[in-house]
Amino acid sequence: MDYLYSILILIGLFIILASSFDLVIGHCGLISIAHPIFYAIGAYVSAMLAKHNIMPIPLAMLSGGVVAFVASALVAVPALRVSGDYLLIASIGFQLGLIELAKHIHEIGGAGGLTNIPSFLIRDYGRESYVVLVLVLAVLTVLFIKWLTQGPYGRMMAAMRDDELAFSMLGRNAIWVKVSVFGIGSGIAGIAGGLYAHYFRFLEPDQFGLLQSSAVLTMVVVGGLRTAWGPVIGALVLQLMPQMITFFNLPPSVLGPLQGLIFTGLVLVFMFKRPQGLLAAPVIWTGKTPEKRGA
Amino acid sequence: MFDVAVVSQILWTSFATSSYFVLFAVAFALVLKVNKVFNFAQAGVMTCGFYAAYVAVRLLEWSGFAGLLAGIAGALLMSFILEHFGFAVLRQRKASPMFVFIFTLIVSQFISYAIMLVFGTWPTTIFASMFWPVTLVGGIAVSAWDVPAVAATLAVLIALWVFLRFTRYGQFMLAVADNADLAELYGIQKNKVLMISMLMAGVIVAIGMFLYGSRAQVQAAAATELMLFAVASTILGGIGNIWGAAVAAIILGIVQNSSILFIPSAWQGFLLYAFLFFAIVLFPRGFRLPERANKLKRTIRAPDALVTKQEG
Repeated sequence: MDYLYSILILIGLFIILASSFDLVIGHCGLISIAHPIFYAIGAYVSAMLAKHNIMPIPLAMLSGGVVAFVASALVAVPALRVSGDYLLIASIGFQLGLIELAKHIHEIGGAGGLTNIPSFLIRDYGRESYVVLVLVLAVLTVLFIKWLTQGPYGRMMAAMRDDELAFSMLGRNAIWVKVSVFGIGSGIAGIAGGLYAHYFRFLEPDQFGLLQSSAVLTMVVVGGLRTAWGPVIGALVLQLMPQMITFFNLPPSVLGPLQGLIFTGLVLVFMFKRPQGLLAAPVIWTGKTPEKRGA
Repeated sequence: MFDVAVVSQILWTSFATSSYFVLFAVAFALVLKVNKVFNFAQAGVMTCGFYAAYVAVRLLEWSGFAGLLAGIAGALLMSFILEHFGFAVLRQRKASPMFVFIFTLIVSQFISYAIMLVFGTWPTTIFASMFWPVTLVGGIAVSAWDVPAVAATLAVLIALWVFLRFTRYGQFMLAVADNADLAELYGIQKNKVLMISMLMAGVIVAIGMFLYGSRAQVQAAAATELMLFAVASTILGGIGNIWGAAVAAIILGIVQNSSILFIPSAWQGFLLYAFLFFAIVLFPRGFRLPERANKLKRTIRAPDALVTKQEG
């Protein structure tokens, strides 16, 4: 039963991650694949604050989200000052650099990983309560992003994404919109990181590398960019699929690369054969999907 | 620790080892200049080049030269596949730059996982031994790897310069880099030129990986890190400036290797990411040399200065 709970929690966490990533890459059109590093920042900050009894766990999780928000702004502001392309490179440098840095800081466990992170809810209310918490937060995240992207803020993002020059000519500040969206997405990922840390109770820097980036990107691309439920479907499919592979009892040296190969291979197939993903994004002005429009 | 002999030795070794960094940076800068793509898939091409040479030398027991040719063939094949089935299709579909970026990143990861699956995750080298005989030159130990590596890099750079400066297709490449649509109007086959640029970058990285793999251990994911070094060099050297990227790669290589004098060796890897991040934050448009700015000032007179002179 614990195995099932763990899978449900991972599905919930990846729904949060993929949805918040879709906000950044899909809705806002920002090019970054470093989303997992903000997940890592949230996880480590929350774990350290709770481990040293600096604050209660729920507050520690929120603090993790705040720190991830601030860190993302620190990356985005200088990079976006130049051009959107630089955000990708700066964020990759930030992601891999921070992982390398974390490996050398013994206070947060170094390369061996951070252990004995205090658990939340499980001792008093059982694992079911944590599953419910994560799934409820996942649903809330999806609804929040849907609300955000369908309102005036969403229309502003769409206008900026579609024609940044025209958007700027209207007196709007494109950099501010980009930084705020990047921050919101990263902050949500940071809170998800806190949820991860207090359930699995072990963090290792390499968990948050490019494999994780590929996985989250795959969920968004396969599910459908700029859709509310696309990342949900992507997270469900791509969390359940590797579980099936584990039944083959393959050695870890084969299992890891095979999962990576499937993730990246699926992205490539979808990029060329169905770039709109499993769910096609509705056209922002009409609310209709491209298929419906064409009909 | 700051003995002249030690410092000289570190500087020489750093200079020699920066040879492959220069090649990776030049290849990255070339594709960025001509094809207008931040080609992160270069990591995949580098991986293919290395493992093709590895198979030839270590598994098939061919000679080192045959291994180099096999490496070049592997990188060329991957570059061709990338351009023909990837970039050309995306160009035809007018894919957004974000889409192309994601494509290059995913391809490099895909190749890395495929190689891990076939060859495992253990690091390996092209030759059985990484140790090269050493000769003392004026108190500095020069290995049998150093001089051929520096010479090969120089030869590649000169060949590239000659190609770009004096050949028909070199001129076409510069024309496409400047304005692809205009070049096409003048009858230049843009797609052919872009393919040549990708293939040339493939050859350059294959030579770089051969040099790297004959001196250090390589595993499937190693090329990503090496390529990020190329990205940092390209940004510091100034986007669109191939030779600037080469100079920046030498400087970064020397700084990274000689950092052992100041910081523990465990932190050397971290320096790369610090370079990359600070290159974007502090020098997003690369270094601008003051001499060049002065020269421009002298040759291009300000319009208001001309008016004042005429009025006077």
